[in-house]
Amino acid sequence: MHHPVQGFLESSSIRYPDKKALIHGNASLTFEEVNAGANRLANLLLDRGLQKGARVLMVMENSMDAVIGYYGILKAGGVAVEVPDKSTTNEVSYYLKNCAAKICILSKAAIRRLDGFKCPISIGPVGSTFSSGQEHITWDALDSKPDTKPDIPIDPHDLAAIVYTSGSTGRPKGVMLSHNNLYSNTASIVSYLGLTEHDRIMAVLPFYYVYGKTLLNTHFMAGGSVVINNRFAFPNTVIKDMVAKEVTGFAGVPSTFAILLNRSVFSKTQIPTLRYITQAGGAMSPALTRRLIEHCGPAEVFIMYGATEASARLTYLPPDRLVSDKPLSIGIPIPGVEITIRDNEGRELEAGKVGNLCAVGPNIMQGYWQDSLETSQVLTPWGLVTGDLGYKDADGFIYLTGREKQMLKIGGERVSPKEIEDAIMESGMVHEVAVISRPDEYLSEVPEAFIVPMDPNDFDLDKLVSFTRKRLSVHKHPKHWNIVRNIPKKPSGKIDKKALRP
Amino acid sequence: MAEIKGTIIEFIRENFIMGRSDTKLDPDESLIESGVMDSTGVLELVEFLETTYDIQIDDEELIPENLETLNNIVGYLKTKGVQ
Repeated sequence: MHHPVQGFLESSSIRYPDKKALIHGNASLTFEEVNAGANRLANLLLDRGLQKGARVLMVMENSMDAVIGYYGILKAGGVAVEVPDKSTTNEVSYYLKNCAAKICILSKAAIRRLDGFKCPISIGPVGSTFSSGQEHITWDALDSKPDTKPDIPIDPHDLAAIVYTSGSTGRPKGVMLSHNNLYSNTASIVSYLGLTEHDRIMAVLPFYYVYGKTLLNTHFMAGGSVVINNRFAFPNTVIKDMVAKEVTGFAGVPSTFAILLNRSVFSKTQIPTLRYITQAGGAMSPALTRRLIEHCGPAEVFIMYGATEASARLTYLPPDRLVSDKPLSIGIPIPGVEITIRDNEGRELEAGKVGNLCAVGPNIMQGYWQDSLETSQVLTPWGLVTGDLGYKDADGFIYLTGREKQMLKIGGERVSPKEIEDAIMESGMVHEVAVISRPDEYLSEVPEAFIVPMDPNDFDLDKLVSFTRKRLSVHKHPKHWNIVRNIPKKPSGKIDKKALRP
Repeated sequence: MAEIKGTIIEFIRENFIMGRSDTKLDPDESLIESGVMDSTGVLELVEFLETTYDIQIDDEELIPENLETLNNIVGYLKTKGVQ
């Protein structure tokens, strides 16, 4: 059974045309309205000459237009490339060049932020202007386009999305996900969460992030509703919205729950309609997990694990096992996925032995965009090598013990220390640099930089910090800076990051 | 009052917008929507206000009406007895 990703929306718009698909503040759109909007956008993109498989870049925070944008691109046969809405001009220019997109869709905030960004065709909100390239189209241009579905045949192996993720070599790599990758992963999640048309999720996670995107796709597949709320900076307003909108589900990364449980009215509020909570995006501390379970009462808590390279999801822990006998496990493979633990030569290891966590399944990516070398390092004969280390217990439950690569996980997002180090080195003010992770109460980890100044007598840290901030998104900025005389090395001459940790 | 506003502006500039000299701080503009602060930024600001002005900010008070804009923050501090 193969369906294109936009089939989730199309089928729900036939089954539940008048049902609210999206709710954002006081506004809402039915499935039929979202589908019509996406058809109009697809027709506009085709009018502008979008070819099958061409990439369209999206820089948008979560919104109803962002959802129309995503499905509209897919309906036109394009590949959706959604990037973090807080990206800097440098970062977005890199994504655009890397995926060779000719069209971008921008939100009002992105237009304001992306000074100096150039793209041949840009699409923005009503009333917006953008001196980007040849043409800027505003959203009201959709009104004159037909709301009929364009006739573009989609093959299950056609690319649907490219999602950028930090690579060990520094610059972000584009994870290529096909329609079948996303379809199979979505169907699997819908089945183990038991989602139906009665479900309504509160989405605070961004849709450009694969976990956030699963909230949209799974609920659209099930005919459920998605409540958009971008106000998590004030978690109390989100909690109020959850009660008012009678949501049945909530999804977060460890920092989401740390903020909710430590600095909001969450633990004093009852959300009677809440049926389930999911947590992914890094390991949450057992203490926090316990508090979450205690407070959320009858609602079930699903601990999950995944990777961008796996469309999102690889394992889930059945809620009853979280509270009974497997509280520290990341669970079992989701339906359709097989996970093995292997040594560095690819030999499968027996239960209890720690090795590389490898995954096989219809959700595993097609590879990294135009990077066959990196692809060959992770897509092996025994499946995707996740870069995580772990073991299976006698019952087949999986436990993580560490990471092979020195990646940081900041608020659920994977960040390469090398990308931060490279940005610091570019300043020319630093002789040597090493970036490591430092535990953080809210973000799980934050970057900490050790720097050896080029000229210690004439070094201005503020100048370096401001240089770095211009190049990197906020979450990649080092939170701690240490000026040192030298950085410890291994006998090979490589920087010894372990020696930098206290 | 102007002094309090100046202190907060200095904190925000130093912690959130250093190096982005193009960012203007309009006292009535949302610090969240303009991209100056995110959810952890709000918590850093709260910690700063608690230590600088020796006040206790309850979880219930972490709402946009108190912290969304520069003017909201200054007005909120006034209700907490900070002059």
